[in-house]
Amino acid sequence: MKKKRHTLAHLLDGRHASVWVSVLAVLLTLLTAGVMLLLMGKNPLIAFRSFLQGCGMLPKANYGGGSGMLSDLSDFLNYMAPMLLASLAFIVGFKAGLFNIGIAGQMLISGFTATVFIGYSKLSALPARILVVVIGILVGGLTGALVGFLKYQFNIHEVVSTIMLNYIISYLTGFFINNHYVDMMTRTSRICSANARLTLTNVMIAGVKCKLPIGILIAVIMAFVVKFIFDKTVFGFELKAVGQNRKCAKYTGVHVGNRIILSMAFSGVLAGLAGVTYYLGYTNTIIPKTLVGMGYDSISVALLGNSSPIGSIFASIIVSIFQQGANYMSSMVNVAKEIASLITGILLLYASCGTYMKMRAHMVIQRDIDREEEEKK
Amino acid sequence: MTKVFTDGLSFAMPLLIMAIGAIYSEKSGVTNLAIEGFQGFGAFIGSLIAIILMGTMGQSSQAVLYIAMAFAAVGGGIYACLHALLCIRFKANQVISGVVVNILAVALTSFCTSLANTKINGTMSNKFILGVSTRFTIPVISRIPWVGGLFKNMYPFEIIIIVLVIFFWYLMYKTKFGMRLRACGENPQAVDAAGGDVEKTRWAAVIISGALSGIGGICFAYSLLANFSPSIYMGYGYLAIAAMIFGNWGIGTTAIVCMIFGLAKSGGYQLCIFMGLPSSYSDLFLMLPYVLTMILLIFFSKKNHPPKAAGEAWDKGKR
Repeated sequence: MKKKRHTLAHLLDGRHASVWVSVLAVLLTLLTAGVMLLLMGKNPLIAFRSFLQGCGMLPKANYGGGSGMLSDLSDFLNYMAPMLLASLAFIVGFKAGLFNIGIAGQMLISGFTATVFIGYSKLSALPARILVVVIGILVGGLTGALVGFLKYQFNIHEVVSTIMLNYIISYLTGFFINNHYVDMMTRTSRICSANARLTLTNVMIAGVKCKLPIGILIAVIMAFVVKFIFDKTVFGFELKAVGQNRKCAKYTGVHVGNRIILSMAFSGVLAGLAGVTYYLGYTNTIIPKTLVGMGYDSISVALLGNSSPIGSIFASIIVSIFQQGANYMSSMVNVAKEIASLITGILLLYASCGTYMKMRAHMVIQRDIDREEEEKK
Repeated sequence: MTKVFTDGLSFAMPLLIMAIGAIYSEKSGVTNLAIEGFQGFGAFIGSLIAIILMGTMGQSSQAVLYIAMAFAAVGGGIYACLHALLCIRFKANQVISGVVVNILAVALTSFCTSLANTKINGTMSNKFILGVSTRFTIPVISRIPWVGGLFKNMYPFEIIIIVLVIFFWYLMYKTKFGMRLRACGENPQAVDAAGGDVEKTRWAAVIISGALSGIGGICFAYSLLANFSPSIYMGYGYLAIAAMIFGNWGIGTTAIVCMIFGLAKSGGYQLCIFMGLPSSYSDLFLMLPYVLTMILLIFFSKKNHPPKAAGEAWDKGKR
């Protein structure tokens, strides 16, 4: 037992400590969720398997006509694309020491603008899709820049201003949708044209209907772009410097205010992209006065991925499995599907203890070293 | 016009008690974005108890309200231990911990509500129906024109909150504990040197913050919403935080700010009715408190003086 604990400690203190912390967080979450399911009298193994089946990672017992494992997998990728983009948005802000809590609002405003201007127009496929992406980038970026400006110019904490903006955007778009763009049957906004949608629906692959999300391509490319910016460019280095020690950055000649605004704008751009891939891809309608839970889920993705762009690709796969597989799991083992959010919450809880885990591991190892030295004497 | 004051006060009071919760936590040096989660979880425990009691004591019993309020405070306090554990013991990032606590509260309460509903009455709904508490009018003063509305159709919890506000104002500014608490947020090393226990004080502050937020939450559940459902997470916790910042972390100033928010909300709503606009326009008026917050923050944020040590984990070895 003692030996085992120390292997764990060495893993948590070694070179790949951050990866192991995330792995440990996932394992602990599965353990906790398993115990919870057991307490409710359900078989956790069946539940976990049906999470994977719902996402097309394992074959289901039977499929409806024209659908198959691939269609589930494509649905899953369709959901994962905005999730990954949103988590990248959080990471960019976080590296510069800013908490962008308003991702959901930035997603909504860019999705709404793109829907109204392009989604309801009669443009042909290629220009429509390009314009949707451009609008997402512009609107998201401007909203983000506004937050950065308020922070730099008026000293308004970004957490407060983003939350206020969230509600303002939610009510404002809700007002316009309810008055001008509402579909009387569904009480949501009218669906946008298939030409503008960033997900190609009803594509036949290997004999089954699939949804082909363009967003996932954008998302993975952006992950590498963000990695490149932070690892290889001066701009990225300055952002990190501002995030770690604002005063020191200022002393070495970084224009802090400018960098704060730019990093929020960049974060907003990514959130805007997430918005258009969500509202004009995953769904193609907007529910008025509702902010998507993805805005907060993306924070757990970013934390679990140790706020590294590549790590967040894996983390968004894990979190998306829980969210996307919840429906099928709920129907298989008869547990309310809210459990998916609960599992995400628990995951976030363990992930946020990461620093403490590392600290503990370091202490255990240090104590061993001290003891050995004492024995030598 | 009197209705503006009546509704304004009944919105401002729960907001104020939550803001005071936030002030306690932040003054002790723990940044608290978790108010939203605390109030929701407190309201959940309170209304769970209320639903169980209503079965035995009858639907209309008003005693249930007071018992529910007490349990909401306890529930909020217990849930706040999670935030305290993460921030104080585990030294996690306090902003992230706040967000974590909020997300977990939303997920946990909506899951447990549907679980409890299946156990208690066999339905899958995610709501506890509570009803609205009775109101009363103070006889003489309520006849004063305009301002008399403040004393008309009052909820009983408004009186309780006023008493609590005075008590917690006294605790913060006139007692030894309160002074220690404020010192923990400015210079924890000094408190440590003077023989105080920084961690214990912060724990107490965060738990108080949870209990007060829980009371605020159950008051919203009993007045504005008339039920407990995930719609209790309307962002009022964040509004309370905004009120605190705008009130410059002082209890008196925050009370005034909360009143302004309350009047803006009810005034906007009455204006909408007065102008004869269709109900779909009410969304624009519901936006008012948030827009007002933004504008006011622009003018007042520069001079703010937040507690110096808020947001930092307490490190004994640091100088």
